[in-house]
Amino acid sequence: MLLDFQRLGWWKYALLAISLLTAAFLLLPILFIAALSFGSSQWLIFPPPGWTLKWYADFFADPRWLQSAWTSFQIAAIVTVLSVLLGLVTSFGLVRGKFLFRETLRALFLTPMILPVVVLAVGLYAFFLQIGLNGTMLGFVIAHLVLALPFSILSIGKALEGFDKSIEDAAVLCGASPLEAKIRVTLPAISHGLFSAAIFSFLTSWDEVVVAIFMSSPTLQTLPVKVWATLRQDLTPVVAAASTLLILLTVILMALFALVRKGLKS
Amino acid sequence: MTEPFLQIQGIRKAYGPVVAVENVDLQVRRGEFLTFLGPSGSGKSTTLYILAGFEDPTAGNILLDGRSLLSIPSHKRNIGMVFQRYTLFPHLSVGENIAFPLKVRRLPKAEVDAKVKEMLRLVRLEGFEDRRPAQMSGGQQQRVALARALAYDPPLLLMDEPLSALDKKLREEIQYEIRRIHQQTEVTILYVTHDQEEALRLSDRIAVFSKGIIDQIGTGPELYSNPQTRFVAEFIGDSDFLPCKVLSASDGHATISLGDGRALDRIPLHGFASAGGKAALMLRPERLRLARISGENAGIAATVSDITFLGNNIHVSTTTDDGALVSVRLPFGHEAIAGLNRGDRVQLTFDAGSAHVFC
Amino acid sequence: MSSQIRASTASAPVRPARPSGLRWTLPALAFVMLFFVVPVAALLLRSITEPAFGLQNYVALLGSSTYLKIFVNTFLVSAVVTVISLTIGFPVAWALAIMPGRLASVIFAILLLSMWTNLLARTYAWMVLLQRTGLINKMLIGMGLIDQPLPLVNNLVGVTIGMTYIMLPFIILPLYGVIRKIDPAILQAAALCGATRWQSLVRVLLPLALPGMAAGALMVFVMSLGYFVTPALLGGTANMMLAELIAQFVQSLVNWGMGGAAALLLLVVTLALYAVQLRFAGDQRLGDR
Repeated sequence: MLLDFQRLGWWKYALLAISLLTAAFLLLPILFIAALSFGSSQWLIFPPPGWTLKWYADFFADPRWLQSAWTSFQIAAIVTVLSVLLGLVTSFGLVRGKFLFRETLRALFLTPMILPVVVLAVGLYAFFLQIGLNGTMLGFVIAHLVLALPFSILSIGKALEGFDKSIEDAAVLCGASPLEAKIRVTLPAISHGLFSAAIFSFLTSWDEVVVAIFMSSPTLQTLPVKVWATLRQDLTPVVAAASTLLILLTVILMALFALVRKGLKS
Repeated sequence: MTEPFLQIQGIRKAYGPVVAVENVDLQVRRGEFLTFLGPSGSGKSTTLYILAGFEDPTAGNILLDGRSLLSIPSHKRNIGMVFQRYTLFPHLSVGENIAFPLKVRRLPKAEVDAKVKEMLRLVRLEGFEDRRPAQMSGGQQQRVALARALAYDPPLLLMDEPLSALDKKLREEIQYEIRRIHQQTEVTILYVTHDQEEALRLSDRIAVFSKGIIDQIGTGPELYSNPQTRFVAEFIGDSDFLPCKVLSASDGHATISLGDGRALDRIPLHGFASAGGKAALMLRPERLRLARISGENAGIAATVSDITFLGNNIHVSTTTDDGALVSVRLPFGHEAIAGLNRGDRVQLTFDAGSAHVFC
Repeated sequence: MSSQIRASTASAPVRPARPSGLRWTLPALAFVMLFFVVPVAALLLRSITEPAFGLQNYVALLGSSTYLKIFVNTFLVSAVVTVISLTIGFPVAWALAIMPGRLASVIFAILLLSMWTNLLARTYAWMVLLQRTGLINKMLIGMGLIDQPLPLVNNLVGVTIGMTYIMLPFIILPLYGVIRKIDPAILQAAALCGATRWQSLVRVLLPLALPGMAAGALMVFVMSLGYFVTPALLGGTANMMLAELIAQFVQSLVNWGMGGAAALLLLVVTLALYAVQLRFAGDQRLGDR
């Protein structure tokens, strides 16, 4: 019985072995980078001859690293807010609306998610060259919003579909105006969708590199662009330190995500 | 005569070419419990939603206390409603749910708290104030929904199949609660259901919906003893139909002949009859008498095809000589059943007044 | 607007018609049109207008062995990555669907961590691991399997390893969902019918999972076709893939016509394969009912 773990015989151990090896394959490189970032070898020898915090000191001493991280954060924060707001309004239209081509419109909104990013990057680059938005904060925000919006529409739309509109109707009959009912009843009820939308939007912008490579200028670049540019020259351990900080952020966001989902469930 | 509390005047609702409700006219007294009974898609819920303001009628008007409701948006109609699905606000506690309509109306806190307590007492859920909806059973959730809908003393309460998601035993328990609350609050209730037993148990009057129109309005006994259409006869109580021929009709009554040529006189008639036209004779299983054929046959001749024990009564299925199926319901231990077997020949008799002819 | 409606139905006091919801989507529609549809369309248009109107860019693109090699590389790497991901991904997804909850949640956490970790960080890890003096080569020499370090980076081997690493979670998660939905009773029935484990696997489990596998495989293949960062960093300049070629046309060569033509090729293949993928996903949904 292939879907009963206890009755698989020796297949059970084969499956277990493949799973654990795959998990190790996925996990070890991440741990490896974290370990290297504390290693003393300039040439990334593993296991490291000694341990040091030098690469972190280098990272925090270099204003270009900090500046690019700050730029990334600002862009990601603005993109998150806009993406959730626009996603919310759009989802209401898509989920509640009854109009021709609704499904086509939904597909159009989700297309940026599946198209190769490089096509969007090159297209926007050309467009922004003409209207002078390359190398500007606004240019970054617009480009990242194109990529983040599908995630918002997807997660908020899903939450809204799972929300029984009768509950909002009940609030309206209780005397709340349609807007008041949405704010006081519907939004709290779909908050998990808003939260996922925010996290996905933030990460989309924060981690995005392809579009950012085209949008950036010598004076304005995001952290991923800075990592990219550095990697194209050499494999300095400072990148290991930067990567470890990024991994740490991922772990924190994941934990936050799990906590909030748990909190919302109970 | 004073003007009725609620008047529904010629309401019609069409979605493009599809007509959901056609020319619904209805008058409701203050404090009345009126039920819309009908199968799904018969227009009963649509009518309720028009009253709530979630749907706009294509034509017609609704007057509450003499004022038209149609130009008033839902949230200003001051109508209470309990929905088919559980609609408690999931992020608010039971107490906060009941307080919601009061807070929206910006009532002072002391008044809100007092009202919440009163409402919890009304639906017998004292002490549940801090529970979350997710921690409560379906029956409890609907009682909270009822409390929330009544918290602002609406003159009119709409209930859209509020018990359909509950199991039978719980449903009966809450039906009793609703009756008690109706008597206690004297609120006017419009109740939608497809369950005839529920309608009969709860209502002062019942409006039977069929295909977007109201077939008949009346009390339960009126609908049962004097159905105006075949649909109402089928929907309220059990019924069997025998094909027959109208011989003559006058004064709302008909003389008919059954397949065996026997003529029956003075049977209440509904519909337009023409002499010699085909019709259906409606019989109630519990109003039929059954006897073994001995000598002269005084009724409809039939053969027993099955006998079923149903607790307090016995259900005898018979097939008439014309091939029609007729059921007879007799109390347990009735003398006519003693020794009755499948295949026995029986005669069925009834009072002319308990049968109806539909054309 | 509302006054118009009121005027036209003055006889009956009917409220204005409910908004259809379309207008709520208009801001996003305007945004997506202006900053997504128009720029991408303009780029594609340039492929037939620059430097002159005509198909010269496509002729150049498809007629050159250099570019053809890039296309072949791209398809080859994508195909190999897809096959490896599917081969590893199916047993892992299967195991995840039936293994004890605690172990499964640990592996899930690792999958998510890997997926959510910054792409550059992950690619960097493989650049370091795969280099001549890297850990992998050192381990292989240490075990006595090889004498000289293998060239694992700046070639398609490196790209394939790095891409497989990135794509694995993308195939395991949807496959897990598909297998999770299969009713174990079906396989119990197969066993009672006398099927051996192999027969159950080949004749029941695999066919039931097939639409999900096809959909997942197509998704991974399409994603691989357009990947930019990992091929660029692990493949080096000599082993370019399609996305990198597009970027290079535009950034280094400032040849918008050729860039647009290459982008159109990538786009057409992507959308065509997505159309196929949607069909598989649709079949799968039918199968659930």
